[in-house]
Amino acid sequence: MDGAQRGEPIVVIDDDYAMRLACEQALAKVGYTVSTFADGAHGLEAVGTCKPGLVVVDLKMPGLSGLDVITRLHAIDPTITIIVITGYATISTAVDAMKAGAYDFLPKPFSPDELRLIVRRGFERRQLQLTSQQCEVERELQRRRFVTFVSHQLKTPLVAVHQYLDVLRQLGEAPEAAEKRQAWLSRCLVRTDELRRLIDDWLTLAQLEGGLLGRQRTRVDVDETITSVLRTYEGLGARDGITLTADVPEHCPVHGDPTCVGVLIDNLVANAVKYNRPGGTVTVRVQRAAGEVIIEVADTGIGVPADALPRLFDEFFRVRQPGVPKVEGTGLGLPICRRIAAEMGGVIEVESTEGAGSTFRVRLPDPEASPALATGRSA
Amino acid sequence: MKTGSRILIIDDDQDFVQALATLLERDGHSVLTAHNGREGVLRARREPPDLILLDVMMDERTEGFFVAQELRRIPELAHVPIFIVSAVYSEQPSMRVAPDRAWLGHDAFYRKPIDPDALLAGIRAALAAHPGAAPRGATP
Repeated sequence: MDGAQRGEPIVVIDDDYAMRLACEQALAKVGYTVSTFADGAHGLEAVGTCKPGLVVVDLKMPGLSGLDVITRLHAIDPTITIIVITGYATISTAVDAMKAGAYDFLPKPFSPDELRLIVRRGFERRQLQLTSQQCEVERELQRRRFVTFVSHQLKTPLVAVHQYLDVLRQLGEAPEAAEKRQAWLSRCLVRTDELRRLIDDWLTLAQLEGGLLGRQRTRVDVDETITSVLRTYEGLGARDGITLTADVPEHCPVHGDPTCVGVLIDNLVANAVKYNRPGGTVTVRVQRAAGEVIIEVADTGIGVPADALPRLFDEFFRVRQPGVPKVEGTGLGLPICRRIAAEMGGVIEVESTEGAGSTFRVRLPDPEASPALATGRSA
Repeated sequence: MKTGSRILIIDDDQDFVQALATLLERDGHSVLTAHNGREGVLRARREPPDLILLDVMMDERTEGFFVAQELRRIPELAHVPIFIVSAVYSEQPSMRVAPDRAWLGHDAFYRKPIDPDALLAGIRAALAAHPGAAPRGATP
Protein backbone atom coordinates (compact mmCIF):
# COMPACT_ATOMS: atom_id res chain seq x y z
CA MET A 1 0.00 0.00 0.00
CA ASP A 2 1.53 3.34 -0.89
CA GLY A 3 1.14 6.84 0.49
CA ALA A 4 -1.65 7.83 -1.87
CA GLN A 5 -3.89 5.05 -0.53
CA ARG A 6 -2.79 5.59 3.05
CA GLY A 7 -3.64 9.25 2.64
CA GLU A 8 -0.33 10.34 4.09
CA PRO A 9 0.52 13.81 2.75
CA ILE A 10 3.78 14.85 1.13
CA VAL A 11 5.62 18.09 1.93
CA VAL A 12 7.82 19.66 -0.77
CA ILE A 13 10.36 22.29 0.35
CA ASP A 14 12.15 24.16 -2.47
CA ASP A 15 13.00 27.82 -2.96
CA ASP A 16 12.39 27.53 -6.73
CA TYR A 17 8.73 28.28 -7.54
CA ALA A 18 8.79 26.35 -10.84
CA MET A 19 10.22 23.29 -9.11
CA ARG A 20 7.55 23.39 -6.36
CA LEU A 21 4.81 23.65 -8.95
CA ALA A 22 6.27 20.82 -11.06
CA CYS A 23 6.56 18.51 -8.04
CA GLU A 24 3.06 19.31 -6.82
CA GLN A 25 1.53 18.65 -10.23
CA ALA A 26 3.47 15.43 -10.83
CA LEU A 27 2.44 14.00 -7.45
CA ALA A 28 -1.11 15.36 -7.21
CA LYS A 29 -1.83 13.81 -10.59
CA VAL A 30 -1.49 10.30 -9.08
CA GLY A 31 -3.52 11.11 -5.99
CA TYR A 32 -1.03 12.33 -3.41
CA THR A 33 -1.89 15.24 -1.13
CA VAL A 34 0.95 17.73 -1.52
CA SER A 35 1.84 20.90 0.43
CA THR A 36 4.70 23.05 -0.81
CA PHE A 37 6.91 25.54 1.04
CA ALA A 38 9.51 28.00 -0.21
CA ASP A 39 11.95 27.64 2.70
CA GLY A 40 13.04 25.24 5.42
CA ALA A 41 11.63 27.18 8.36
CA HIS A 42 8.07 27.26 6.98
CA GLY A 43 8.33 23.67 5.80
CA LEU A 44 9.38 22.45 9.25
CA GLU A 45 6.66 24.50 10.91
CA ALA A 46 4.08 22.81 8.70
CA VAL A 47 5.36 19.30 9.41
CA GLY A 48 3.80 19.34 12.86
CA THR A 49 0.34 20.06 11.45
CA CYS A 50 0.28 18.19 8.09
CA LYS A 51 1.98 15.05 9.48
CA PRO A 52 3.59 14.05 6.19
CA GLY A 53 4.82 10.52 5.57
CA LEU A 54 7.38 11.81 3.11
CA VAL A 55 9.25 15.09 2.58
CA VAL A 56 10.96 16.16 -0.62
CA VAL A 57 13.57 18.81 0.14
CA ASP A 58 15.98 20.84 -1.98
CA LEU A 59 19.52 20.72 -0.64
CA LYS A 60 20.57 24.21 -1.70
CA MET A 61 18.27 26.89 -0.33
CA PRO A 62 18.73 30.32 1.21
CA GLY A 63 18.21 30.29 5.00
CA LEU A 64 18.10 26.80 6.46
CA SER A 65 20.06 24.41 4.24
CA GLY A 66 18.61 21.10 3.10
CA LEU A 67 20.95 19.29 5.50
CA ASP A 68 19.68 21.36 8.45
CA VAL A 69 16.12 20.57 7.43
CA ILE A 70 16.87 16.83 7.35
CA THR A 71 18.42 16.92 10.82
CA ARG A 72 15.49 18.83 12.31
CA LEU A 73 12.90 16.72 10.51
CA HIS A 74 14.40 13.65 12.11
CA ALA A 75 14.24 15.30 15.50
CA ILE A 76 10.52 15.94 14.98
CA ASP A 77 9.65 12.48 13.59
CA PRO A 78 12.38 9.94 12.85
CA THR A 79 10.00 7.82 10.75
CA ILE A 80 9.47 10.48 8.02
CA THR A 81 11.00 9.40 4.71
CA ILE A 82 13.12 12.17 3.19
CA ILE A 83 14.10 12.54 -0.47
CA VAL A 84 16.54 15.30 -1.41
CA ILE A 85 16.70 17.07 -4.72
CA THR A 86 19.90 18.67 -5.72
CA GLY A 87 20.96 20.84 -8.63
CA TYR A 88 24.63 20.02 -8.54
CA ALA A 89 24.60 16.32 -7.95
CA THR A 90 28.00 15.55 -6.62
CA ILE A 91 28.39 12.26 -4.82
CA SER A 92 29.58 14.00 -1.66
CA THR A 93 26.48 16.17 -1.13
CA ALA A 94 24.23 13.19 -1.74
CA VAL A 95 26.27 11.09 0.69
CA ASP A 96 26.08 13.86 3.32
CA ALA A 97 22.32 13.98 2.92
CA MET A 98 21.98 10.22 3.22
CA LYS A 99 24.25 10.23 6.27
CA ALA A 100 22.01 12.87 7.83
CA GLY A 101 19.06 10.51 7.32
CA ALA A 102 17.72 11.06 3.79
CA TYR A 103 16.36 7.95 2.10
CA ASP A 104 17.45 8.79 -1.48
CA PHE A 105 18.33 11.70 -3.75
CA LEU A 106 17.12 12.95 -7.09
CA PRO A 107 19.44 15.06 -9.28
CA LYS A 108 17.95 17.93 -11.29
CA PRO A 109 16.66 17.86 -13.91
CA PHE A 110 14.28 14.94 -13.41
CA SER A 111 11.10 13.84 -15.12
CA PRO A 112 7.71 13.59 -13.35
CA ASP A 113 7.96 9.81 -13.72
CA GLU A 114 11.34 9.73 -11.99
CA LEU A 115 9.91 11.75 -9.10
CA ARG A 116 6.83 9.52 -8.82
CA LEU A 117 8.97 6.38 -8.90
CA ILE A 118 11.29 7.53 -6.13
CA VAL A 119 8.32 8.74 -4.02
CA ARG A 120 6.54 5.42 -4.44
CA ARG A 121 9.66 3.53 -3.40
CA GLY A 122 10.07 5.90 -0.48
CA PHE A 123 6.56 5.16 0.73
CA GLU A 124 7.09 1.41 0.29
CA ARG A 125 10.26 1.60 2.36
CA ARG A 126 8.40 3.64 4.98
CA GLN A 127 5.64 1.05 5.13
CA LEU A 128 8.18 -1.72 5.73
CA GLN A 129 9.90 0.35 8.39
CA LEU A 130 6.63 1.08 10.21
CA THR A 131 5.63 -2.59 10.08
CA SER A 132 8.96 -3.71 11.49
CA GLN A 133 8.74 -1.09 14.26
CA GLN A 134 5.28 -2.37 15.11
CA CYS A 135 6.68 -5.92 15.29
CA GLU A 136 9.46 -4.70 17.57
CA VAL A 137 6.95 -3.03 19.92
CA GLU A 138 4.84 -6.18 19.93
CA ARG A 139 7.88 -8.33 20.70
CA GLU A 140 8.91 -6.11 23.58
CA LEU A 141 5.36 -6.25 24.99
CA GLN A 142 5.37 -10.04 24.70
CA ARG A 143 8.73 -10.22 26.45
CA ARG A 144 7.46 -8.09 29.35
CA ARG A 145 4.30 -10.16 29.64
CA PHE A 146 6.46 -13.24 29.71
CA VAL A 147 8.66 -11.87 32.51
CA THR A 148 5.55 -11.02 34.55
CA PHE A 149 4.21 -14.49 33.92
CA VAL A 150 7.41 -16.31 34.86
CA SER A 151 7.80 -14.30 38.05
CA HIS A 152 4.19 -15.11 38.93
CA GLN A 153 4.77 -18.83 38.33
CA LEU A 154 7.90 -18.84 40.47
CA LYS A 155 6.42 -16.76 43.27
CA THR A 156 3.11 -18.61 43.60
CA PRO A 157 4.40 -21.70 45.44
CA LEU A 158 6.79 -19.58 47.50
CA VAL A 159 3.94 -17.28 48.55
CA ALA A 160 1.78 -20.24 49.58
CA VAL A 161 4.54 -21.64 51.80
CA HIS A 162 5.35 -18.25 53.29
CA GLN A 163 1.68 -17.56 54.01
CA TYR A 164 1.24 -20.90 55.77
CA LEU A 165 4.30 -20.30 57.93
CA ASP A 166 3.27 -16.73 58.70
CA VAL A 167 -0.23 -17.77 59.77
CA LEU A 168 1.10 -20.75 61.74
CA ARG A 169 3.36 -18.39 63.65
CA GLN A 170 0.40 -16.07 64.23
CA LEU A 171 -1.69 -18.96 65.58
CA GLY A 172 1.06 -19.81 68.07
CA GLU A 173 -0.16 -22.33 70.63
CA ALA A 174 -3.86 -21.86 69.82
CA PRO A 175 -5.78 -25.16 69.82
CA GLU A 176 -6.59 -24.94 66.09
CA ALA A 177 -2.86 -24.58 65.37
CA ALA A 178 -2.08 -28.16 66.37
CA GLU A 179 -4.49 -29.72 63.90
CA LYS A 180 -3.42 -27.38 61.09
CA ARG A 181 0.29 -27.77 61.66
CA GLN A 182 0.74 -31.30 60.25
CA ALA A 183 -1.50 -30.75 57.25
CA TRP A 184 0.05 -27.40 56.43
CA LEU A 185 3.61 -28.61 56.78
CA SER A 186 2.78 -31.40 54.31
CA ARG A 187 1.40 -28.82 51.92
CA CYS A 188 4.54 -26.71 52.37
CA LEU A 189 6.62 -29.71 51.30
CA VAL A 190 4.41 -30.27 48.26
CA ARG A 191 4.70 -26.63 47.27
CA THR A 192 8.46 -26.39 47.79
CA ASP A 193 8.74 -29.50 45.66
CA GLU A 194 6.62 -27.78 43.01
CA LEU A 195 8.96 -24.79 43.11
CA ARG A 196 12.04 -26.98 42.85
CA ARG A 197 10.62 -28.81 39.81
CA LEU A 198 9.75 -25.48 38.24
CA ILE A 199 13.29 -24.21 38.72
CA ASP A 200 14.75 -27.51 37.45
CA ASP A 201 12.62 -27.43 34.30
CA TRP A 202 13.30 -23.76 33.77
CA LEU A 203 17.04 -24.36 34.04
CA THR A 204 16.85 -27.36 31.70
CA LEU A 205 15.11 -25.20 29.11
CA ALA A 206 17.59 -22.36 29.59
CA GLN A 207 20.52 -24.79 29.25
CA LEU A 208 19.04 -26.27 26.08
CA GLU A 209 18.54 -22.80 24.65
CA GLY A 210 21.98 -21.65 25.70
CA GLY A 211 23.66 -24.69 24.18
CA LEU A 212 24.91 -25.97 27.54
CA LEU A 213 22.81 -29.10 27.22
CA GLY A 214 21.87 -31.31 24.32
CA ARG A 215 24.91 -30.73 22.13
CA GLN A 216 26.50 -34.07 22.86
CA ARG A 217 26.20 -36.54 19.98
CA THR A 218 26.44 -40.22 20.74
CA ARG A 219 24.47 -43.29 19.86
CA VAL A 220 21.75 -43.83 22.40
CA ASP A 221 19.82 -47.07 22.56
CA VAL A 222 16.25 -45.90 23.03
CA ASP A 223 15.06 -49.39 23.90
CA GLU A 224 17.22 -49.27 27.05
CA THR A 225 16.09 -45.73 27.88
CA ILE A 226 12.44 -46.72 27.49
CA THR A 227 12.78 -49.82 29.65
CA SER A 228 14.38 -47.77 32.40
CA VAL A 229 11.77 -44.98 32.23
CA LEU A 230 8.86 -47.42 32.27
CA ARG A 231 10.32 -49.07 35.37
CA THR A 232 10.38 -45.64 37.07
CA TYR A 233 6.68 -45.06 36.42
CA GLU A 234 5.41 -48.58 37.05
CA GLY A 235 4.74 -47.83 40.72
CA LEU A 236 2.90 -44.59 40.04
CA GLY A 237 0.86 -46.28 37.31
CA ALA A 238 -0.01 -49.27 39.47
CA ARG A 239 -1.53 -46.94 42.07
CA ASP A 240 -4.27 -46.08 39.55
CA GLY A 241 -4.33 -49.46 37.82
CA ILE A 242 -2.56 -48.06 34.76
CA THR A 243 -0.65 -50.61 32.66
CA LEU A 244 2.60 -49.54 31.00
CA THR A 245 3.77 -51.52 28.00
CA ALA A 246 6.54 -51.21 25.44
CA ASP A 247 6.60 -52.35 21.83
CA VAL A 248 10.19 -51.64 20.94
CA PRO A 249 12.61 -53.50 18.63
CA GLU A 250 15.73 -54.62 20.43
CA HIS A 251 18.30 -52.77 18.44
CA CYS A 252 17.14 -49.21 18.05
CA PRO A 253 19.75 -46.47 18.31
CA VAL A 254 19.21 -42.76 17.87
CA HIS A 255 21.82 -40.05 17.71
CA GLY A 256 21.93 -37.46 20.46
CA ASP A 257 22.60 -36.53 24.07
CA PRO A 258 21.80 -39.49 26.37
CA THR A 259 20.60 -37.21 29.18
CA CYS A 260 18.26 -35.40 26.82
CA VAL A 261 16.87 -38.60 25.31
CA GLY A 262 16.13 -39.70 28.88
CA VAL A 263 14.40 -36.40 29.73
CA LEU A 264 12.37 -36.54 26.50
CA ILE A 265 11.02 -40.04 27.09
CA ASP A 266 10.60 -39.45 30.82
CA ASN A 267 8.47 -36.33 30.24
CA LEU A 268 6.24 -38.04 27.69
CA VAL A 269 5.69 -41.15 29.83
CA ALA A 270 5.10 -39.02 32.94
CA ASN A 271 2.39 -37.07 31.08
CA ALA A 272 0.83 -40.27 29.75
CA VAL A 273 0.51 -41.55 33.33
CA LYS A 274 -0.58 -38.24 34.89
CA TYR A 275 -3.26 -37.47 32.30
CA ASN A 276 -4.57 -41.04 32.19
CA ARG A 277 -7.64 -42.61 33.74
CA PRO A 278 -7.77 -45.32 36.39
CA GLY A 279 -7.34 -48.65 34.62
CA GLY A 280 -5.90 -47.03 31.50
CA THR A 281 -2.85 -47.95 29.46
CA VAL A 282 0.38 -46.29 28.38
CA THR A 283 2.03 -47.77 25.30
CA VAL A 284 5.47 -46.84 24.05
CA ARG A 285 6.22 -47.92 20.49
CA VAL A 286 9.34 -47.47 18.41
CA GLN A 287 9.41 -47.96 14.65
CA ARG A 288 11.99 -47.35 11.97
CA ALA A 289 10.61 -46.11 8.70
CA ALA A 290 11.77 -43.98 5.79
CA GLY A 291 15.03 -42.91 7.40
CA GLU A 292 13.39 -42.05 10.70
CA VAL A 293 13.15 -43.50 14.16
CA ILE A 294 9.62 -42.85 15.39
CA ILE A 295 9.01 -42.97 19.14
CA GLU A 296 5.34 -43.01 20.05
CA VAL A 297 3.87 -42.60 23.53
CA ALA A 298 0.15 -43.29 23.53
CA ASP A 299 -2.25 -43.04 26.46
CA THR A 300 -5.93 -43.75 27.02
CA GLY A 301 -6.39 -40.66 29.13
CA ILE A 302 -8.41 -37.47 29.20
CA GLY A 303 -7.03 -36.17 25.88
CA VAL A 304 -6.57 -32.57 24.79
CA PRO A 305 -9.38 -30.34 23.47
CA ALA A 306 -8.80 -29.50 19.79
CA ASP A 307 -8.55 -25.76 20.45
CA ALA A 308 -5.72 -26.31 22.96
CA LEU A 309 -3.58 -28.44 20.61
CA PRO A 310 -1.83 -25.55 18.80
CA ARG A 311 -0.58 -24.11 22.11
CA LEU A 312 0.30 -27.42 23.75
CA PHE A 313 4.06 -26.97 23.29
CA ASP A 314 4.08 -23.33 24.47
CA GLU A 315 5.93 -22.52 27.66
CA PHE A 316 3.67 -22.54 30.74
CA PHE A 317 0.60 -23.45 28.73
CA ARG A 318 -1.74 -25.63 30.78
CA VAL A 319 -4.92 -27.21 29.49
CA ARG A 320 -7.98 -26.40 31.54
CA GLN A 321 -10.90 -28.72 31.11
CA PRO A 322 -14.07 -28.18 33.06
CA GLY A 323 -14.80 -31.10 35.35
CA VAL A 324 -11.25 -32.46 35.09
CA PRO A 325 -9.24 -32.17 38.32
CA LYS A 326 -6.12 -30.03 38.07
CA VAL A 327 -3.02 -32.07 37.29
CA GLU A 328 0.22 -30.93 38.91
CA GLY A 329 2.87 -29.82 36.45
CA THR A 330 5.24 -27.02 35.58
CA GLY A 331 3.93 -26.32 32.09
CA LEU A 332 7.48 -26.73 30.82
CA GLY A 333 7.67 -30.47 30.12
CA LEU A 334 6.43 -30.37 26.53
CA PRO A 335 8.41 -27.23 25.59
CA ILE A 336 11.51 -29.12 26.82
CA CYS A 337 10.53 -32.15 24.69
CA ARG A 338 10.05 -29.97 21.63
CA ARG A 339 13.42 -28.33 22.17
CA ILE A 340 15.21 -31.67 22.62
CA ALA A 341 13.59 -33.16 19.51
CA ALA A 342 14.65 -30.09 17.50
CA GLU A 343 18.18 -30.30 18.92
CA MET A 344 18.36 -33.88 17.62
CA GLY A 345 17.19 -32.82 14.19
CA GLY A 346 13.69 -34.14 14.71
CA VAL A 347 10.17 -33.02 15.47
CA ILE A 348 7.47 -33.82 17.97
CA GLU A 349 3.81 -34.15 17.03
CA VAL A 350 0.62 -34.86 18.89
CA GLU A 351 -2.69 -36.45 18.00
CA SER A 352 -5.44 -36.35 20.54
CA THR A 353 -9.12 -36.97 20.99
CA GLU A 354 -10.66 -35.29 23.97
CA GLY A 355 -11.89 -37.92 26.37
CA ALA A 356 -10.14 -40.78 24.55
CA GLY A 357 -6.41 -40.17 24.86
CA SER A 358 -3.32 -38.67 23.26
CA THR A 359 -0.44 -39.96 21.18
CA PHE A 360 2.84 -38.05 21.18
CA ARG A 361 5.14 -38.93 18.31
CA VAL A 362 8.82 -37.99 18.18
CA ARG A 363 10.39 -38.38 14.74
CA LEU A 364 14.19 -38.46 14.76
CA PRO A 365 16.67 -39.09 11.96
CA ASP A 366 17.67 -42.76 11.83
CA PRO A 367 21.46 -42.85 12.32
CA GLU A 368 21.67 -46.16 10.47
CA ALA A 369 20.02 -44.62 7.44
CA SER A 370 22.56 -41.78 7.29
CA PRO A 371 26.12 -43.08 7.73
CA ALA A 372 27.54 -39.64 8.60
CA LEU A 373 25.45 -39.52 11.76
CA ALA A 374 26.13 -43.15 12.61
CA THR A 375 29.87 -42.69 12.73
CA GLY A 376 30.06 -39.07 13.89
CA ARG A 377 30.93 -38.58 17.50
CA SER A 378 31.44 -35.19 19.03
CA ALA A 379 31.23 -33.65 22.45
CA MET B 1 -15.88 -1.92 64.91
CA LYS B 2 -18.02 -4.47 63.18
CA THR B 3 -17.19 -8.05 64.09
CA GLY B 4 -18.21 -11.24 62.42
CA SER B 5 -17.96 -9.73 58.95
CA ARG B 6 -18.24 -11.84 55.86
CA ILE B 7 -15.12 -11.80 53.71
CA LEU B 8 -14.87 -13.23 50.20
CA ILE B 9 -11.46 -14.46 49.02
CA ILE B 10 -11.14 -14.76 45.23
CA ASP B 11 -7.88 -16.55 44.49
CA ASP B 12 -6.86 -19.61 42.48
CA ASP B 13 -4.22 -20.88 44.93
CA GLN B 14 -6.00 -23.16 47.39
CA ASP B 15 -3.11 -23.17 49.85
CA PHE B 16 -2.97 -19.39 50.00
CA VAL B 17 -6.76 -19.30 50.47
CA GLN B 18 -6.56 -21.91 53.23
CA ALA B 19 -3.94 -19.94 55.16
CA LEU B 20 -5.76 -16.62 54.87
CA ALA B 21 -9.16 -18.14 55.65
CA THR B 22 -7.79 -19.55 58.91
CA LEU B 23 -6.31 -16.19 59.83
CA LEU B 24 -9.56 -14.32 59.11
CA GLU B 25 -11.78 -16.86 60.84
CA ARG B 26 -9.62 -16.66 63.92
CA ASP B 27 -10.18 -12.89 63.88
CA GLY B 28 -13.93 -13.51 64.02
CA HIS B 29 -14.86 -13.22 60.35
CA SER B 30 -16.67 -15.75 58.24
CA VAL B 31 -15.00 -16.58 54.98
CA LEU B 32 -16.34 -17.35 51.51
CA THR B 33 -14.02 -18.51 48.75
CA ALA B 34 -13.97 -18.60 44.96
CA HIS B 35 -11.22 -19.87 42.67
CA ASN B 36 -11.59 -17.57 39.72
CA GLY B 37 -13.16 -14.26 38.80
CA ARG B 38 -16.35 -15.62 37.29
CA GLU B 39 -17.03 -17.80 40.35
CA GLY B 40 -16.15 -14.84 42.58
CA VAL B 41 -18.66 -12.50 41.00
CA LEU B 42 -21.40 -15.15 41.22
CA ARG B 43 -20.58 -15.82 44.85
CA ALA B 44 -20.54 -12.12 45.69
CA ARG B 45 -23.93 -11.59 44.06
CA ARG B 46 -25.45 -14.55 45.85
CA GLU B 47 -23.98 -13.84 49.28
CA PRO B 48 -22.88 -10.19 49.34
CA PRO B 49 -19.71 -9.97 51.45
CA ASP B 50 -18.56 -7.07 53.62
CA LEU B 51 -15.10 -7.09 52.06
CA ILE B 52 -13.38 -8.81 49.16
CA LEU B 53 -9.78 -10.02 48.85
CA LEU B 54 -9.04 -10.35 45.15
CA ASP B 55 -6.08 -11.95 43.38
CA VAL B 56 -4.95 -10.54 40.01
CA MET B 57 -3.45 -13.37 37.93
CA MET B 58 -5.87 -16.26 37.89
CA ASP B 59 -7.13 -17.90 34.69
CA GLU B 60 -6.14 -14.73 32.84
CA ARG B 61 -3.12 -12.53 33.40
CA THR B 62 -4.96 -9.40 34.58
CA GLU B 63 -8.24 -11.05 35.51
CA GLY B 64 -8.47 -9.46 38.97
CA PHE B 65 -8.52 -5.90 37.66
CA PHE B 66 -11.46 -6.67 35.40
CA VAL B 67 -13.23 -8.55 38.17
CA ALA B 68 -12.82 -5.47 40.39
CA GLN B 69 -14.47 -3.32 37.75
CA GLU B 70 -17.26 -5.80 37.25
CA LEU B 71 -17.92 -5.93 40.99
CA ARG B 72 -17.99 -2.13 41.11
CA ARG B 73 -20.74 -2.04 38.52
CA ILE B 74 -23.05 -4.23 40.62
CA PRO B 75 -25.16 -1.76 42.63
CA GLU B 76 -25.50 -3.89 45.75
CA LEU B 77 -21.71 -4.46 45.81
CA ALA B 78 -20.60 -0.99 44.78
CA HIS B 79 -19.60 -0.02 48.32
CA VAL B 80 -17.88 -3.24 49.33
CA PRO B 81 -14.15 -2.60 49.90
CA ILE B 82 -11.95 -4.60 47.56
CA PHE B 83 -8.36 -5.41 48.57
CA ILE B 84 -6.25 -6.47 45.65
CA VAL B 85 -3.59 -9.03 46.58
CA SER B 86 -0.84 -9.92 44.16
CA ALA B 87 2.65 -11.38 44.14
CA VAL B 88 3.47 -9.59 40.91
CA TYR B 89 1.53 -6.35 40.74
CA SER B 90 2.27 -3.99 43.58
CA GLU B 91 0.27 -1.01 42.40
CA GLN B 92 -2.47 -0.06 40.02
CA PRO B 93 -1.55 -1.14 36.54
CA SER B 94 -0.89 1.39 33.82
CA MET B 95 -3.63 -0.20 31.74
CA ARG B 96 -6.32 1.08 34.04
CA VAL B 97 -9.33 2.05 32.07
CA ALA B 98 -11.05 4.69 34.13
CA PRO B 99 -9.30 8.03 34.45
CA ASP B 100 -9.49 8.46 38.23
CA ARG B 101 -8.61 6.39 41.28
CA ALA B 102 -12.30 5.95 41.98
CA TRP B 103 -12.54 3.00 39.62
CA LEU B 104 -11.32 0.72 42.36
CA GLY B 105 -13.14 2.60 45.09
CA HIS B 106 -11.63 2.24 48.55
CA ASP B 107 -9.18 -0.43 47.61
CA ALA B 108 -5.84 -1.23 49.01
CA PHE B 109 -3.10 -3.24 47.37
CA TYR B 110 -1.42 -5.98 49.37
CA ARG B 111 1.71 -7.68 48.22
CA LYS B 112 1.77 -11.48 48.60
CA PRO B 113 2.77 -12.96 50.97
CA ILE B 114 0.63 -10.71 53.15
CA ASP B 115 1.75 -9.66 56.61
CA PRO B 116 -1.07 -11.04 58.83
CA ASP B 117 -1.11 -8.09 61.26
CA ALA B 118 -1.15 -5.52 58.46
CA LEU B 119 -4.00 -7.32 56.72
CA LEU B 120 -6.12 -7.67 59.86
CA ALA B 121 -5.56 -4.00 60.71
CA GLY B 122 -6.42 -2.98 57.16
CA ILE B 123 -9.61 -5.01 57.23
CA ARG B 124 -10.63 -3.51 60.57
CA ALA B 125 -10.06 0.00 59.25
CA ALA B 126 -11.95 -0.64 56.02
CA LEU B 127 -14.90 -2.22 57.82
CA ALA B 128 -15.02 0.65 60.31
CA ALA B 129 -15.13 3.11 57.43
CA HIS B 130 -17.86 1.10 55.70
CA PRO B 131 -19.99 -0.30 58.50
CA GLY B 132 -22.26 -2.03 56.01
CA ALA B 133 -25.26 -1.21 58.18
CA ALA B 134 -26.87 0.78 55.41
CA PRO B 135 -28.50 -1.37 52.75
CA ARG B 136 -25.74 -2.26 50.33
CA GLY B 137 -25.65 -0.09 47.26
CA ALA B 138 -27.81 2.62 48.81
CA THR B 139 -26.20 5.96 49.52
CA PRO B 140 -27.16 7.15 53.01
